[in-house]
Amino acid sequence: MTEITVFQSRRWRLVSPSDLEVDYMSEDNARIVYTALAVDKELQPDKVKRQMSVIDGKLLVHFEAVEARFLRASFSAFVDVLTLATKTIEEFGQGMEL
Amino acid sequence: MGHDLTGSSGNIVVSWERFCEGSGFLLSMGSKWSRFYRKMTALGFEGSANKIGVGVVTLDGTILSNPRHTYITPPGQGFLPRETAQHHLQHVLPLIRSALETAQVSAKDIDCLCYTKGPGMGAPLQVAAIVVRVLSQLWKKPIVAVNHCIAHIEMGRIVTGADDPVVLYVSGGNTQVIAYSEGRYRIFGETIDIAVGNCLDRFARVLMLSNDPSPGYNIEQLAKKGEKFLDLPYVVKGMDVSFSGILSYIEGTAEEKLKNNEFTPADLCYSLQITERAMAHCDAKDVLVVGGVGCNVRLQEMMRTMCSERGGNLFATDDRYCIDNGAMIAYTGLLAYAHGMPTPLEESTFTQRFRTDEVLALWREKEPRNLNGVMKEST
Repeated sequence: MTEITVFQSRRWRLVSPSDLEVDYMSEDNARIVYTALAVDKELQPDKVKRQMSVIDGKLLVHFEAVEARFLRASFSAFVDVLTLATKTIEEFGQGMEL
Repeated sequence: MGHDLTGSSGNIVVSWERFCEGSGFLLSMGSKWSRFYRKMTALGFEGSANKIGVGVVTLDGTILSNPRHTYITPPGQGFLPRETAQHHLQHVLPLIRSALETAQVSAKDIDCLCYTKGPGMGAPLQVAAIVVRVLSQLWKKPIVAVNHCIAHIEMGRIVTGADDPVVLYVSGGNTQVIAYSEGRYRIFGETIDIAVGNCLDRFARVLMLSNDPSPGYNIEQLAKKGEKFLDLPYVVKGMDVSFSGILSYIEGTAEEKLKNNEFTPADLCYSLQITERAMAHCDAKDVLVVGGVGCNVRLQEMMRTMCSERGGNLFATDDRYCIDNGAMIAYTGLLAYAHGMPTPLEESTFTQRFRTDEVLALWREKEPRNLNGVMKEST
């Protein structure tokens, strides 16, 4: 689970769905996306942490952030490039003919 | 991945080209030879600013395809990183297909995948980097990271045939005077604040000019109607120039003086002075103008006059090559790859700041000059 701790008030403890899971049903494809996305580190590592792993053909991504707005920005940018990497495989992966 | 001679037929051709180096043999045999053996070929991706382009190029500089798509914002607005990246995300995959189809090549014909590492806007740069990393794994092809400024220079050299010119690189993000010396492209002078193209773009926004096809083009068309010349507060500091003062001044006075001033030439001539000094410094005769603003006809005229006064030539390219494109990245990446400089996938990062003189231009030291002769394509 992703935990967003709002510093000002201890009572606020948001637990939001910021664990992302994409099932590629292929160890190879999940690994390709993982390798492509792992190169770019989070821009503000002191504010947002991102951990990725590949298990059973699934890409698992876990986000942690100190504030919701950092989580939102980071998550949103990540989903964009994740989608791009996935579409690239769909379009130019196995069986691509010209 | 190294450059081994026992690999694919493409690699064997390179050794053959090297064997023929200086003999002129390839000049006569090139076309016949290529029917039997594939030339080294690269797929290149450019996305550092508001254009996304994909190009297919062979080592001799032949451009097999070079499609691109430009993100055009409404009048009065510039392009922002996130929106520009969204534009690139939408267009990059269809552009790859179009580039491969036009060039009539498929994955197996490609020797390396080249992308713009920087300089440029982060989010747009990332699009090309991600695609290249995925394709590299799918197709088992090496990656080559390319410096955007150097790609402009190499593209300009191969297209015009300029051998060792002083380069004036003028675009929306960069204004540099560059010359090659001892392994690197050295920056002789540059802007200390904003690029000349940025100055023009932002002036176009003040006037609410259209950004289609580009703000600079529309300023140029408007300037042709200008009659009065307005003195602008230009700044030259040593070998460097500054354009932000010009922008502030013109923004402040645009309202009343709008009608009649001819902005473009007054502005551009200062980078020209620096180029002239660099020419004197390097004892060079020729000048190559590259970058988006390099399409400016008035700038080209002024440079031509200056060069002829110094007994040299002006080399300039048209908008197919001087505006950002994928082929320039492919060609420059291929030069680096042919000289054994691929980029490991885990190091295929992008960076907003990437200076021209950080790159070791290995290919300039032992350039197969006769190859240049084959590829030279007049514009």
